[in-house]
Amino acid sequence: MKRIRLRFLVAGLVGLAAVAGSAQRAPAAPIDELVAAAKKEGTIDFYAPSTLTPEGAQKLNEALNKKYGLNIKLNYNPSGAMTRDVAKVVSFAATGTPPDWDIMVVHDAAHATLWLRKQHKPFDYAKVGVDPQVIGYDRGTVILANQFVLPAYNKTILPSKDVPRSWEDLTDPKWKGGKLGMGTATHHLARLATAWGEKKATEYVKALARQEPYLGELGTLYSRLQLGEIFIAITMTDSFVHRAKLKGAPVVHAEGIEPVISPAYNAGVLKGARHPNVGHLFAVFLTTPEAQEIWEKYGGQTSAFVPGTTAYKYAQGKKVLYMTQEEAEMVDRLTRVYGKMLGFK
Amino acid sequence: MQPMAAQGRTMGVLDRLLRNGPDGSTIFAGGLLIFLAVIVGAPAAMVALMSLRTGFPGEGGPLTLINFIRVYTDLSTYNVLLNTLLFATGTVVVALIFTVPLVWLLMRTDLPFKRTIYVLLTLGILIPVFLRTIAWILLLSPRIGLVNQWASQIFGLDHPLVSLYNLPGMAFIQGVSFVPGAFFMLAAAYRTMDPALEEAAYTAGVSKLRTFFWINIPITLPAIAAVMVYLFMTAIAVFEVPAIIGLPARILVLSSLIYTSTNPPTGLPEYGVAGAYGGVMLLAGLVLAYFYVRLVRQGKKYTVITGRGYRPREIALGRWKWPAMAFVMLYLSMEVFIPFLVLLWTSLLPYLQLPSAAALSSISLKNYRTIPDYTGALPFINTAILMVAVPCCAMLLSVLVSWVVIRSQVSFRGILDTVAFLPHAMPSILLAVGLGYLGLAYRNIFPFYGTIVIIIIAHTINWIAYGTRTTNSVMIQVHRELEEAGKVAGVSAPRVFLRIVLPLVAAGVFNSGIWISMLSYREVTMALTLYSRKNTVISTVVWQFWGSGWVPEVSALGVILVIFAVIVVGALRIGFSRVGEVGSSV
Repeated sequence: MKRIRLRFLVAGLVGLAAVAGSAQRAPAAPIDELVAAAKKEGTIDFYAPSTLTPEGAQKLNEALNKKYGLNIKLNYNPSGAMTRDVAKVVSFAATGTPPDWDIMVVHDAAHATLWLRKQHKPFDYAKVGVDPQVIGYDRGTVILANQFVLPAYNKTILPSKDVPRSWEDLTDPKWKGGKLGMGTATHHLARLATAWGEKKATEYVKALARQEPYLGELGTLYSRLQLGEIFIAITMTDSFVHRAKLKGAPVVHAEGIEPVISPAYNAGVLKGARHPNVGHLFAVFLTTPEAQEIWEKYGGQTSAFVPGTTAYKYAQGKKVLYMTQEEAEMVDRLTRVYGKMLGFK
Repeated sequence: MQPMAAQGRTMGVLDRLLRNGPDGSTIFAGGLLIFLAVIVGAPAAMVALMSLRTGFPGEGGPLTLINFIRVYTDLSTYNVLLNTLLFATGTVVVALIFTVPLVWLLMRTDLPFKRTIYVLLTLGILIPVFLRTIAWILLLSPRIGLVNQWASQIFGLDHPLVSLYNLPGMAFIQGVSFVPGAFFMLAAAYRTMDPALEEAAYTAGVSKLRTFFWINIPITLPAIAAVMVYLFMTAIAVFEVPAIIGLPARILVLSSLIYTSTNPPTGLPEYGVAGAYGGVMLLAGLVLAYFYVRLVRQGKKYTVITGRGYRPREIALGRWKWPAMAFVMLYLSMEVFIPFLVLLWTSLLPYLQLPSAAALSSISLKNYRTIPDYTGALPFINTAILMVAVPCCAMLLSVLVSWVVIRSQVSFRGILDTVAFLPHAMPSILLAVGLGYLGLAYRNIFPFYGTIVIIIIAHTINWIAYGTRTTNSVMIQVHRELEEAGKVAGVSAPRVFLRIVLPLVAAGVFNSGIWISMLSYREVTMALTLYSRKNTVISTVVWQFWGSGWVPEVSALGVILVIFAVIVVGALRIGFSRVGEVGSSV
């Protein structure tokens, strides 16, 4: 009996020691592991829209280091041509060459191209506290900012009675013959198919094509809208409307039209990235309020999924079209189909 | 029969080399030929390769004709080919309508203010095409164009008088922009025109206008035809005007298709399709180059300089002086003054607006102050590098090629000359696409993709044909006696070249170098096709600003560049009184 007690005592002590030891060696929180791994890498090559500016990138770098107690060096690569740079990543991967960048911030349609070709390095972002709503492309990316797309018009030229109240208003015969403009971003229209269905969206685009809109890049349509060469741009991102507001230009969105199309800027770490851990940590960081504030100040947009942000507030009570990865393939296909229908080769 | 003769000649060369062994000149020329063949042939080979492949550069895969089948079984391709043909033809016609009278007036008559006109012509080249196009939109747009608004008010028209959103409109804008280049090309022919025929006509009482049409134009017809072919080749490759004016109106040409195939607004590039489109362009380029060479050779039969001290007499315009000046002013207004005024106006505005009292009250210099924020220093540094490196590389190669072609007895010097001329047959957009493909697919052996070096290489290859035509003509004018004296004195061939030949041709080489430097400065097509963040240059910044809707900001940049160009060109004009001859040897 005494022996049994002793055994219990020894077992208890061993057990206590084991518990105490295991408490000392308790697995670190996933974010700490990521921070530690990132610390070892020390650098990140970051590709993002040029609207962020080097100063904005520097602010993000400082905020990242401050938040996680790091001394990471961030090399900012402003976007030249997103489509081509995505193609460059795919091309380099085909030759076995590592990508030039660890992490790319490009819109969701461009990330769809990378996802379809398995060019992301996935990460369990949810495990480190990222809202599952913003995780996409098989854990390959996180949404950090949303654009909002609607028809835009020149308010000094277009009488208020002619301001479109719905997407269908743009197919009115009174807009035929170069009074409308359509940008190269035909993925905007392709996204309508996610709400309307492919058949209705395709009929709608056919009707738009019959209006013979002026074609061009969004920026050139913005210029033509200012001049009054066109009355309405069929789609225009909020960044142009925001710019017009700052400059006093009479270009505004036709508010009230629904659904509001919302392409999203996603951050995704690339397969073969030289600094994947800093990349993943930075992607996590971009969804935090600190990063959102900087992104809004320099990049002009915020995430509609981070409560309190401008985009979040704007999206409340509206029917907003966000693209999911399940819809990516259809949007990608329809983008090209609609481009041809409208006259882009 | 001809292939047999060629084979015989080749065998003869080989036989001599085997018997005697190659001398220094032959080895040097051989090395030069191989080097040129590689740099000229590689982009063409890449275009051929990509046309036979699907997927991305570096992905490999079997060779296939699918791209050709896809492109040439699509009926819209033939519509595009027809558009290209009409656009290029119209461009050439418009360019010549202005160029031929301008050349005659400036080279053969006593028109006043010639020096100023030369400077303005040179300046016109430096105003980006898209900025001129904005001016034309403000003038000729069917809805807001001032000309149409005036016509509507004066004549009570209920429809636009003119519109630039059609093929004639595109050809007009592009043709006007080609005039300065065509002017410098034609100037030499008119400068050396035999005045005897003209004088005979005047003695016979023929009017100046009739003499111009029945004497001057026929005499210089081969030169004009050569310029026509050259302009046609250039017109099928440019894509700025097709993009700004053609695309909105759904008028597509080959160059815009090649560009959008490799730089699609959405989706991924289709290099194979671009290669298939490029095939027909390359073929057209080779055919046109063949005719160009024939025309230039034929033109030499019309050489009319008969003795030393020759100087054709200037024709007194008399009462035609001021109508002639009006014509020149009309052209300069279209090419320089109106675009510059539009540029200046736009640069002062917060956003693009038509002239009005409200717009006038909003003008400021803010866009000038914010230029550094938008551009940074890199585009300026890269442009400066281009403007120095490209003329240096192109002229160095050109001098070496011409030295072999004109001065040596190397048996294959004709082949070397032909290889140096071949880039002329390759549209610039294809050259850039080929080099881009090379850089992406074979990064290990050609690690220049995304760097300024790849643009330097593209520009150098593109202008080596021009460079060698210039240096050939300059080298011919230097008598051999001096070189022979050097050789007799026991000086080695390289030292003869460096100490005797080079100083003698330096002025001509320098002039051509300046011209190439300016062309490199304003070139958009290749720089944009090869564009990446690290190799951005001013022309690509200008283009991207336009595409992004930053028109007032880029206009401010344009004004500064034009003022800078006025200073540089004016200084060069004063420093080198023969600047008007630059470019005359093409």
